[in-house]
Amino acid sequence: MASDRSDSAAPLLAGCALWKQGAEARIYRGKFLGRAAVVKHRFPKRYRHPQLDEKLTRRRTVQEARAALRCRKAGISVPVVYFVDYTTHCIFMEDLVGSITVRDHIVTTQQSGDNPESLGGLADEMGRILAKMHDEDVIHGDLTTSNMLLRNGSEGPGADLVLIDFGLSYTSALPEDKGVDMYVLEKAFLSTHPNTESLFQQLLNSYTAASKKAPAVIKKLDEVRLRGRKRSMVG
Amino acid sequence: MHVTHELELFPEYSVTQMLFTDVKNAAALRKSAMEGQINGALINPAMLVDPFQALVAANKAVHLQKAGKMKTRSLLSEIIFNLSPTNNISEAFRRFGMSDGDGAVHVVTVHPREDMSDVDTILARVEGRQVPVGEISTFTDVPGIKKLYKVTPSEEKCGSLLEAVVCRMAVKDVV
Repeated sequence: MASDRSDSAAPLLAGCALWKQGAEARIYRGKFLGRAAVVKHRFPKRYRHPQLDEKLTRRRTVQEARAALRCRKAGISVPVVYFVDYTTHCIFMEDLVGSITVRDHIVTTQQSGDNPESLGGLADEMGRILAKMHDEDVIHGDLTTSNMLLRNGSEGPGADLVLIDFGLSYTSALPEDKGVDMYVLEKAFLSTHPNTESLFQQLLNSYTAASKKAPAVIKKLDEVRLRGRKRSMVG
Repeated sequence: MHVTHELELFPEYSVTQMLFTDVKNAAALRKSAMEGQINGALINPAMLVDPFQALVAANKAVHLQKAGKMKTRSLLSEIIFNLSPTNNISEAFRRFGMSDGDGAVHVVTVHPREDMSDVDTILARVEGRQVPVGEISTFTDVPGIKKLYKVTPSEEKCGSLLEAVVCRMAVKDVV
């Protein structure tokens, strides 16, 4: 029964508090063996065919766990995975207490009006981290400023960026896939944060400087931009 | 000295860890554990970075036992197996389990919450000197662990050795 599958996670989540609900998963906060932890529960989707749902949910959980380890090995900050329950599709990971999303940081900085140049350092760091990730042939799949966290107190120079939400990630060496990854970020970036074209360009410059494979990726990014949606001026 | 931690996910159980040095009866202890006379996983402390690492292994073991999905035959051997970064069971026992010639041992036992009788049995059986579990780092073979878990230098920049180890333990079934 579909309702059984959703309830089967209940005992595991007993001591935790629901923090966020997305279309894909519910995020809980609690303790894991004494440490502040976040539990990401990919709950069953009843609008899907049950077998498909199980396959998809399991795949996303597995991809997320794998990508976390691959990124860590490459020196990219991602939350530490403590425990994965493959029966209920729960991932128990490190809770970055006091962190804020890059999205919120940019919004607050723009709203307060002072020192928009400080965001330049952030753009540089984002470019560097993404270059490292793509050099590892890890495609994030859902790059947005909401999927990047700034560790507590590191909003200034030397931003300590943490990437999250690798459910749509996969491995690819193709510049096309990396270009699309960057295109997704560009679209998300520019639509969420108005008047940040030059900031994003700074991110791309930093990306190019940090990776030898970047020129091919940027070339593909330009091609994908031309391809994009609603490009044809046909009525 | 010994440290007891309850498992938030399985509140009916607690995990107690004990650390001993100058152990004289390692071989006899191993035999007792294998025969089921003592309820404790006997671990080589050189392979442990922090008590949290053993807790994570025990938590996963209890979870798999409840789900009927253990890879080994008993809860205690599953704890040892979970410490290993690979899926090879005999290799895990070799590297992480205590050997007959060892002078130090870290014991992990999973027991019902308020019931410390298993702990008392172990304390009575071990011929050695008990030291605080917090001192585990004095036994840790850091270069050995880095090599065994294949920890990269760039990884050490973004987190501690404990984090690197725990992450591998959590993800090893799908990597």
